[in-house]
Amino acid sequence: MTTTAAGPATGRSVLAGVLIGVGVAAFIDETVFHQLLHWHHFYDGSTLEAGLVSDGVFHAGGWLAIVVGLFLFADLQRRRATVPKRVWGGGFLGWGAFQVYDGLFQHKVLGLHQIRYEVDLLPYDLAWNISGAIGVVVGAVLLVGRARAVDAR
Amino acid sequence: MSTTGWWPALPLVAVALAYLAGGRRLHRRGDRWPVRRWVAAAASVVTLAVALLPPLATHAHHLFAVHVVAHLLLAMVAPLLLALAAPVTLALRALPAGGRRRLLAVLHSAPARVVTWPPVVLVLELGGMAAFYLTDLFALALAHPAVMALVDLHMVLAGFLLATLLVGPDPLPRRPGTIGALLTLLVAAAGHDVLAKLLYARLLPDGAGSAADVRLGAQVMYYGGSAVEVALAVALMAAWYARGGRELRREQRRTVSAPAPAPAPSPTTPTPTPRTTAPAATPARG
Repeated sequence: MTTTAAGPATGRSVLAGVLIGVGVAAFIDETVFHQLLHWHHFYDGSTLEAGLVSDGVFHAGGWLAIVVGLFLFADLQRRRATVPKRVWGGGFLGWGAFQVYDGLFQHKVLGLHQIRYEVDLLPYDLAWNISGAIGVVVGAVLLVGRARAVDAR
Repeated sequence: MSTTGWWPALPLVAVALAYLAGGRRLHRRGDRWPVRRWVAAAASVVTLAVALLPPLATHAHHLFAVHVVAHLLLAMVAPLLLALAAPVTLALRALPAGGRRRLLAVLHSAPARVVTWPPVVLVLELGGMAAFYLTDLFALALAHPAVMALVDLHMVLAGFLLATLLVGPDPLPRRPGTIGALLTLLVAAAGHDVLAKLLYARLLPDGAGSAADVRLGAQVMYYGGSAVEVALAVALMAAWYARGGRELRREQRRTVSAPAPAPAPSPTTPTPTPRTTAPAATPARG
């Protein structure tokens, strides 16, 4: 079947990957940092109203992305049209982009909570944003070059 | 969440009896009404009863977090179950010819088209909630049972419209595609999240209780609302997946009989299900 970067099924593999990647990043953010470590706060008193809107869209978009992404992936699998390299590429891209958006725009520009309180923020910010940037780069690398659908193997 | 009395039981019993009468009429003439719709209808009425009657309604008056639990049951869970019970479809099939004609006229009327248009449904849903929780309407409703009853009715109906638009089998003048439905759900869910955090940040609504109580209620609203919205998303995508499966099987049958490659169907344009649940109007989904 598809052996090049073109084709509608390839695009859908990327889309499924991006959605799952964004969803996983949002899920980790919510469970690990909010619920388990309690580093993040539900609301920290300094958030701008634009921050609340951005946060609402990202919370809602995060779990919606994972539900839609998994159903898209299941649909690709039953059609034997999955292009695994593109799913991984989209996944890394979505995860990294979410993290960088969260770290730079939401935390710094909109003032929507910080990673942690009462500590030196720099190492946390660097770790969060650099790991996100690495995700973006890895994802972009996986999205270029040849890729095959599962069916063509 | 309403008043601390048993009178909300009256309209509930009336609704339940009407549904029962419709279903019985179908069964007597030999038609089948799906068991899952009976279950959804019963669960919906029970959920409404839990939300509107003592003991929950009594405590909802005094503790904001309990009020929020009652609100989630009343405005999100019960309307979703009611939508899955397909009451309009049942009415169309059970009513005598004259009544059915009148109901169809209402369904095809201009107001029905407006009120089921996704942006209008979102305004009814989110605007109603914002008006209730962010203004003095909350205190007014606590003081006047009639106002609270109207607010409750609005919440149930707006929730029913939203759930029908997303996953309900009832016929609509115009049904959004899967992408449109997902965007509608995204806006509704994001709106609920923003509203819950606003309550937390500004300690609203006025007169709801202590700061700790309001903050607890806002968090219950945030996470409880998300849970119901995840269920809505799963139901929506499961229906999309099932439609895709039927399409795939048809395609495979065509390929066997006439070997011509068919293009993969796009997720943006769902094909209407052949199983029509009502005369005229858009075929139901799911």
